[in-house]
Amino acid sequence: MPDRTSRFIWPILGLPGMAWIALFFLVPLYVVFCVTFGTVDPIFRSPVPAWNPLEWQFEQVLVVWDRLVGPNNFYLPPVLRTLLYVVVAVVACMIIAFPVAYFTARYAGRHRALILALLVAPFWISYMMRMLAWINLLQPDGLVNSMITLGGIIPLQVNWLSGNPFTVVMGLIYGYVPYMLLPLFAALDRISPSLIEAGRDLGASGFELFRRVILPMSVPGIVAGTLLIALPMMGDYFTSDMLSKSPNTSMIGNLINLSIATPGQSGQAGALLILVLLVLLAPMIWYTRSNAKAEVRS
Amino acid sequence: MADRPRPSISRRRLLQASALGVPGAWVLSSCARAQPLGAPAPAASTAGGSAAASLPPLTEIPIASPQNPVKWPINPGNEPIASGLEPEMNATLRVYNYPDYVYKRVLKDFQKEYADYNVKVELSTFNDLPEALTKIRSGSVPFDVGFLTYNYMGKLVYGDLIRPLNHDYIPNINDVWEEFQNPFYDQGWQYTVPYTIYTTGIGWRHDLIPEDISARSNPYDVFWDAKYAGAIAVLDDDREVIAMTILRNGGTDVNSADPAVLGQTRDSMLEMLSVSRPRVTITGYTDIPEGTMSLAQCWSGDMITGQYYLPEGVDPALLRYWSPPTGQGVVGNDFLCVLKGGENPVMAHHFLNYMLKSEVSIKNLSFVGYQPPLRSLTPESMVADGYLPANLAGAIVKPEWFQVGYPLLELPVAVEAEYQAIWQQFKSGA
Repeated sequence: MPDRTSRFIWPILGLPGMAWIALFFLVPLYVVFCVTFGTVDPIFRSPVPAWNPLEWQFEQVLVVWDRLVGPNNFYLPPVLRTLLYVVVAVVACMIIAFPVAYFTARYAGRHRALILALLVAPFWISYMMRMLAWINLLQPDGLVNSMITLGGIIPLQVNWLSGNPFTVVMGLIYGYVPYMLLPLFAALDRISPSLIEAGRDLGASGFELFRRVILPMSVPGIVAGTLLIALPMMGDYFTSDMLSKSPNTSMIGNLINLSIATPGQSGQAGALLILVLLVLLAPMIWYTRSNAKAEVRS
Repeated sequence: MADRPRPSISRRRLLQASALGVPGAWVLSSCARAQPLGAPAPAASTAGGSAAASLPPLTEIPIASPQNPVKWPINPGNEPIASGLEPEMNATLRVYNYPDYVYKRVLKDFQKEYADYNVKVELSTFNDLPEALTKIRSGSVPFDVGFLTYNYMGKLVYGDLIRPLNHDYIPNINDVWEEFQNPFYDQGWQYTVPYTIYTTGIGWRHDLIPEDISARSNPYDVFWDAKYAGAIAVLDDDREVIAMTILRNGGTDVNSADPAVLGQTRDSMLEMLSVSRPRVTITGYTDIPEGTMSLAQCWSGDMITGQYYLPEGVDPALLRYWSPPTGQGVVGNDFLCVLKGGENPVMAHHFLNYMLKSEVSIKNLSFVGYQPPLRSLTPESMVADGYLPANLAGAIVKPEWFQVGYPLLELPVAVEAEYQAIWQQFKSGA
């Protein structure tokens, strides 16, 4: 009898989650496909989704493909730019978050909850408000320039908001660093202090201890944090829109946003979105499989 | 040996789920209306709704221009309201507009003026016209009044989204410039009354750009001047930037469909990108006064509004605006119309008439910065009455400019796609 109960209880408990995923992920994803492979209203240029897969058309995908790899491949620069920005921002987030997470996990003692809360607190404010705050700080006569020029003593004027790629990457780092911090903290917190003690007892230097014990054991946190921030960064358009407004820092997200706002181009927006999805699916599958293998090994 | 972890979903299950998806798609398909509200039938057939009987096939929709003024059809079933009707009681008048493009005090005053009818004005905003049209067509909100633009007239009429006006309710049209009592985009003002007029030009702060841009032989060249790299911006509007580039290159047809002109325009825009690295934004009206930007392509009303965004202690005399003094630049206007889906057509007519009142228009101008085309508001009176400083007199639009200026017109679909491709390439930073 208990066996029969347990046979049904877990699927039943899993039902709400599955329903949620079906309703808010799978159905919208199917709609994206239907818009991408659908047609366009002849007057209003609004999308007419093709709900039946047998009626799907591929013109918009071919347009996007041509703009990516064809002779006039003007979609390629923003794609490459996005990859570069994301790689730089992810590495910077890791460099910033790792020591903070390590300190909090190992040395913060009973204050760790408070420290974590303080680190995450600014991010309770909406992303848009924080970016607006940065606009004020980075203005030609803003606080950042005042500090750099020591209140105007040094004759240096940096225009941070003039389509500066550094400002956009800085915005990405600032916006996403807590999402790297939390999984890293969770991974580092799980490392047993006795393992570190054992490493020391066996004569490992601080660097050796980091290289041979701490870093390998924090890999799941690094991977989780990387995926957690790289995925939304790939689709981010807001940071460039707010801190740059320049085509010279356009990312894939900006292209998608532009296509959505342009009459008759929703299909292209969908095709770009599917492209990003496919690119991101590979590391996600790799992560899921490596996690499953790790569980088997343990 | 440890058991191999059971996959969360087997391939067989996945196939089964996919099979279930087909009915799902059918459900989605059934949920969707065969045609969105007010939408036309496919290209080969005629426009939808009650308009189907009287409107010509889609391929014949005329494109209005000063050379080809258009008198739009009035569909059976969409006749103007009768004369002499009382405004609706307890109405919620739903007004649909761009953000910050109407003075809220003006709306409140309308409520006071029609207090006997207990009217409440509810303002909703859209970011751009495609978004507005999508929402109007969906019919999810019964908007009564729209603040829209003339290059969407064909879509509004053929989509059966707009209601013809009964002129008896709008006597204040007599104060409107003659040009707008019979505009090319709506001959006989059957559907619209004008709201604001503007030119597109260049705005800057004289203390940040000491050069007199207007003294250049071709002021548009400033956007291709490396000296101002990183300090300038163009409008976030494909038509405006393409038009400005065509004018800069010596052209006058800002609606050109000529592939050679469009190719040259694209090359010039990409050159601009590499030379001066402009930002792309419509917030010049705050960015220039605040000093975040030194110079920008902007609309005339932006600079008039800009004087209210200057930091404390900065003199409005520092603001400058240039558009061709002969009027041979981009000119345009927005209009007010009664939307067909609204529930209060009589009150909506009264609202249109109210917005054309001289004192209401002037009060509205003091907030939005955009000039209404009223006889009672002359360029001289605008400066004399302090609506703008003398250094911004170039931002005042003159009636004769609508004879010589270049309006941005609706484009054929294929040409529109060319414009969009140029814009996408520009905004890609390629």
